[in-house]
Amino acid sequence: MDFAARTVISDLSFDVKRGETFGFLGSNGSGKTTTLRALLGIYRPTSGRLLIDGEPFKPELAHRLGYLPEERGLYKKESVIDVMTYFGRLKGLGKLESHRWSMEYLDRVDIGDKAKMRVDKLSGGQQQKVQLGVTIMNQPELLILDEPTKGFDPVNRRLLMSIIDEQRAGGATVLMVTHQMEEVERLCDRIILLKDGSARAYGTVAEVQAQFGDLTVAVDHVGAAVPSSAHYELLDTENGHATLGVQNGADLAAILRGLMDAGVTVTRFEPQRKSLDDIFVEVYGSDEGEQ
Amino acid sequence: MAQHNIRTVIWFEVGRNVTKPRFWIITLIVPVALMVVFALVFLSSSSTDAASSAQKNAHITFQYRDLSGIVDPATASKFGGTATSDATAAIAAVKAGTSQAFFDYPADPATQHIKVYGADKDIFGNGVYASVATSLLQLSAQEKINSPQLVNIASGNLNTTSVTYRDGHTAAGINGVIAPMLYLVAFYLVILLLGNQMLASTLEEKENRVTEMILTTINPTSLILGKIVALFVAGLLQIVVFAVPLAVAYALFRKQLNIPTLDLSNLVLDPQQMIIGALILIGGFALFTGTLVALGAIMPTAKDAGPIFGVLMILIFIPFYIVTLIISDPTAPIVQTFSWFPYSAPVTALLRNAFGVLPLWQGISIAVELLLLAVVVLRVAVQLFRYGSIEYSRRVSLADAFSRTPRRQASSPPQ
Repeated sequence: MDFAARTVISDLSFDVKRGETFGFLGSNGSGKTTTLRALLGIYRPTSGRLLIDGEPFKPELAHRLGYLPEERGLYKKESVIDVMTYFGRLKGLGKLESHRWSMEYLDRVDIGDKAKMRVDKLSGGQQQKVQLGVTIMNQPELLILDEPTKGFDPVNRRLLMSIIDEQRAGGATVLMVTHQMEEVERLCDRIILLKDGSARAYGTVAEVQAQFGDLTVAVDHVGAAVPSSAHYELLDTENGHATLGVQNGADLAAILRGLMDAGVTVTRFEPQRKSLDDIFVEVYGSDEGEQ
Repeated sequence: MAQHNIRTVIWFEVGRNVTKPRFWIITLIVPVALMVVFALVFLSSSSTDAASSAQKNAHITFQYRDLSGIVDPATASKFGGTATSDATAAIAAVKAGTSQAFFDYPADPATQHIKVYGADKDIFGNGVYASVATSLLQLSAQEKINSPQLVNIASGNLNTTSVTYRDGHTAAGINGVIAPMLYLVAFYLVILLLGNQMLASTLEEKENRVTEMILTTINPTSLILGKIVALFVAGLLQIVVFAVPLAVAYALFRKQLNIPTLDLSNLVLDPQQMIIGALILIGGFALFTGTLVALGAIMPTAKDAGPIFGVLMILIFIPFYIVTLIISDPTAPIVQTFSWFPYSAPVTALLRNAFGVLPLWQGISIAVELLLLAVVVLRVAVQLFRYGSIEYSRRVSLADAFSRTPRRQASSPPQ
């Protein structure tokens, strides 16, 4: 996908399975939002196709879709309830149903008393809550969230994540752009890492972690020292602690059995992978530094 | 679905317009000002009538000298006058306060001034002397003529009835202009009252960063059509609010406000003029609306859109600079240019249509031109909104917006 002479997205291919939570990761300017906008028909891909349920985006899909854009905004001079009811009507809900759902939601997110206030009289976080409500009020089958926790404090972030969890539990497919790695590790079934408009990694969290280094196992022990073995590489050993380098796919139970058979009394056997945070820094570290 | 969404947009847009104090302030400011003016006119008219009547009926004693020989002594006596030949003494008596007034009629009152001397009664009260002096002379002259008919004719109280013919039929004259001219009035009212709102209607989505939410919720064509209809409804409401004080004033205070009687039975409704006028009005409204919506989609803020908006407003006023030429010589090149240039065409063509100097073929052609161009501009406006309004903070180029038009994507992978 090109803007003027600049290629923003290239050679990108991914699919999101029905019912899964898919994380879109990347540094600022890596093409995440552009990809979402192209998916939603706001931008035209220079080449290639973006399909939702086998079809290009069309506004008729709005009833099955919830989109929380990165650029947040609502009709600021209207009351909260009027704005929510309006979007509810546009998303196919009846007027009363839309009103009732909105009031219940506002109560749930602790701003029920603000229903008749103008949107611009709310705090930034409260506006975010209203916007999330507008996004999910039609119980969407596909929920596209572009940095959903941006602007939320930790308490409200937890509330937001629980709401997203409910949507997942209700069967929604969630496509989420985020910089919060703990959210990704907790929520996402699969992820894609974008860098300069291309996929740098793609798969389940474990698969992506595996792409960025072998598994290590931390072993605390007493008794005999940890012996060398063809099944692992002894990376470090001192004072009852050893770190084993293990190839991806190795049989960890067999390794543990081997240690115990060699007379090592194992008090801790903890497989460790490189965290997503570490991977993110590894992939984008130089970019972030430049920005 | 599209109809449901258009109705929802109309309901929302009209609702939020009419519930805003600003809407009612703008809407009511003109009628309130009109009512204040009417009230002032009414009060002024009442007090002027009373003062005039009081002056006419005022009885003063005065001396007069009549060099013209027109003043009838008996009539003068009824007014309280006494003839004198000594002007100097009469003026001295007024000065001394022993006489209220002295009127000195010259030999030829038609060309020379009547000199009036009186005891000061303040600026407004002093008018009584001139009033009595002229009334006495007029009454004396009428008595000399001794014929009510001649008096009326001499006073210029004459009525005429004109009948003119065009193409072998009686021409409607001014009675035929009024009804089609209302289209022009409606066009001005709608554009002047709603122009800013048309511009703001799409700017608002950009300024509030609602564009992405709205574009993924509703078809932009439905959104813009809904907004246009909502604006039209709001405009009609404003026109009704404007019309109410005029109707009330006409119905209840016509005499006091000196409003001429409107005899609707004399109005001539020429079907051709009315249909052509309606088509040009609709085409003009759609063209201006589409253009302003497109402008709103391109520009980042209302301030940036201001200069172009100003040019459009000038274009609807420019034809009035040549209004005489438009009516008297509709074939003049400048009139033809204004008639065919889309943004000056509505006003020029509606003027020509009202005065009956717009040939049928030209009326149809201009209406078709406006309607076709309106469709094109509305489509461009939708396109710009769809693919241009995502640029929140910078001006969008047409090429940029159109380069983002989605090609039809295949729904299944190529085999």
